[in-house]
Amino acid sequence: MTVPANTTKRVARLILTLSTCAMAAGYASAFFRGGTPSWGPWLLAFGIPGALGGVMVLGAARERKGVGSLALPFAFVIITLTIGFCLALGLPANEGPGSTLWLGLPVRAAIVVYGIGLLPVVVLPVAYALTFETQTLSAEDVECVRQMGKLWTAREDAIADAPTDHDVKPL
Amino acid sequence: MGELLAFGLLQTALPRIAQPEVIAVGIAYFSVIVGISVWASRRTKTASDFFVAGNGIGLIALTVASVSTSVSGFAFIGGPGLIYAVGLGAMFIVLPASVTNVMGAWILAKRMRLLGEARGLMTVPDAIGARYRSRAAQGLSGVAILVGIVGYMATNALAMGVVINAIFGVGLGWGIWLGMGVTLAYSVAGGILAGIYNDVFQGTLMAVASFLVFVFILDAGGGLGHISRTILMTDPKFLSPWGKLTPLAVLSFFFVFSMGSLGQPQGVHKYYMLKDPLQLKWYPLLKTLGLVLVLLLYFSVGVGVKAFITNGRMPALSAPDQATPSLLLNVTPLLLAALVFSGVAAATMSTVNSFINIGAAVITHDLPVAFGRRMKNELAWGRGATVVIAVFASLVAQYSGSMVAFLGIFGWGLFASALVPALAVGLNWEGATRVGALTSIGVGLVVTLSLETASYFKVFTFPAGVTASAVALVLSLLAFFAVSWLTRRSAAASIDPDVHMIMDM
Repeated sequence: MTVPANTTKRVARLILTLSTCAMAAGYASAFFRGGTPSWGPWLLAFGIPGALGGVMVLGAARERKGVGSLALPFAFVIITLTIGFCLALGLPANEGPGSTLWLGLPVRAAIVVYGIGLLPVVVLPVAYALTFETQTLSAEDVECVRQMGKLWTAREDAIADAPTDHDVKPL
Repeated sequence: MGELLAFGLLQTALPRIAQPEVIAVGIAYFSVIVGISVWASRRTKTASDFFVAGNGIGLIALTVASVSTSVSGFAFIGGPGLIYAVGLGAMFIVLPASVTNVMGAWILAKRMRLLGEARGLMTVPDAIGARYRSRAAQGLSGVAILVGIVGYMATNALAMGVVINAIFGVGLGWGIWLGMGVTLAYSVAGGILAGIYNDVFQGTLMAVASFLVFVFILDAGGGLGHISRTILMTDPKFLSPWGKLTPLAVLSFFFVFSMGSLGQPQGVHKYYMLKDPLQLKWYPLLKTLGLVLVLLLYFSVGVGVKAFITNGRMPALSAPDQATPSLLLNVTPLLLAALVFSGVAAATMSTVNSFINIGAAVITHDLPVAFGRRMKNELAWGRGATVVIAVFASLVAQYSGSMVAFLGIFGWGLFASALVPALAVGLNWEGATRVGALTSIGVGLVVTLSLETASYFKVFTFPAGVTASAVALVLSLLAFFAVSWLTRRSAAASIDPDVHMIMDM
């Protein structure tokens, strides 16, 4: 199902704005008299993936096409980041000599390093490359821009040919 | 990350390593730099060649160069030292690399490259000026970049001096001028073309050094599991997700280094340089893999040194930033140490070169345009500005004392808060207005400078590890949205048809 870009972009901006507000509230919570309340970091744990996801969708959505098949990888990354941050915050801090190791690291550290640091690497850039022609840039797009560029160059050349008697010339 | 690198080098005196093998590798390194620079200078004939390499860089070269500029030497000295000091929380500075490259590609790469194609744009302020049809926005963003560059340049000039002094034993002052002299020579002669191909060499050197050190540490430590067990015996908090920092501080790292990457001119302005816009297809994948490779050292040295000191294989450090030098001199073969130290020199030089070029473009192109003028011979003026900026940065590095550390603090945060809303969001949102852009750039400049100044002079300290950069970025984003909404009736009038078409693509 294709969602019109205007709606997609509007939703992306809304998410970006709300996420930024959530982060602002999270930072403001640090100034509470009794110290940072326990919910303060959670606002960032939800706000950061929201803001990054919102800005990615804003960039990828094309007029009339929305984000198309990129919806899945975007959802995957936003959910991965959110779950990663939330597990790091929510799981008990019980690292010790007897801790179970996942790929050489304690559980919470493994979630952060492999989940947040590596998992998106195998999804996002591949999704970008696989959808490049349909979702990002086609040869027709480039040709269209080049034609417009020729018009702009002609206009600039006309301005440059205007006589000046200084080292610098007006635009 | 340049300012963090500077801290990594400013807070420590690197040990003297002026031994024949190290000097030989250092001389070989500088010889390659000179060779590339002579070749590039013969190919630099126009301002476009000088500032954006005539839009003619291939995919692989641009990717490696971009990795080299993005990572800087922080990955080699300051970063591992930070992990050693505070634990895994410091990883949140580099973890955003998993999303930043592809995020930048979707948000900025295509549109900036197409703007370059359509209008021959050369600079980041050019894109802002074109987007909002506003010379004021172009000029103000140029000023913000110039302010940030002063800090980056001075701290990296000093860092370069520290590294060169460690390799050749020539003294800090001579180290600064020697490093800046070589960088200046290839920047003036070959512009960004010399910079890019030197970055390719330097980035390759960094990747090789990083991978070798990673493999060496895993082998010497008996694998990551064994390294972790050693650390967990005495300091389990080190391997918790936040390390010894607060969750708020660590999550702030992630926010500032992910969202903030969209406003770093040294990375963003490389989008103009790709020869064929369609090659952008593989750019994020290749750059992300390159970054992961180069950052292996960051993680492995920080964690490895902690384990080696715990089990008595290495002596205790006099300062956290000694983690990499101490490991190289006490545990690894000397040739590998020489390679890594040359990698650090490479990283600082690539950063300095990139900022010299960007600063020169602001002075000779963006600021005159903001005042309705254009230099007649931008290439000649660009070369002149390059010399002035380099000499000024070297003088600041040598004579400003502790002030240079302050200058280095705010580079990344200033670029992020001043440029991300107007550039990254603005190029993707037709409702953004000229007034909104000017306001967000102004808010970013003022809030970053005032909060960092207050923090540096201990007038005000943020609680719970909140950083001025994160607060400034959030405030500039909110100001951008709020003012654009309030002035939304003027939005449509601030976009030219060709820019509108590119934004729709």
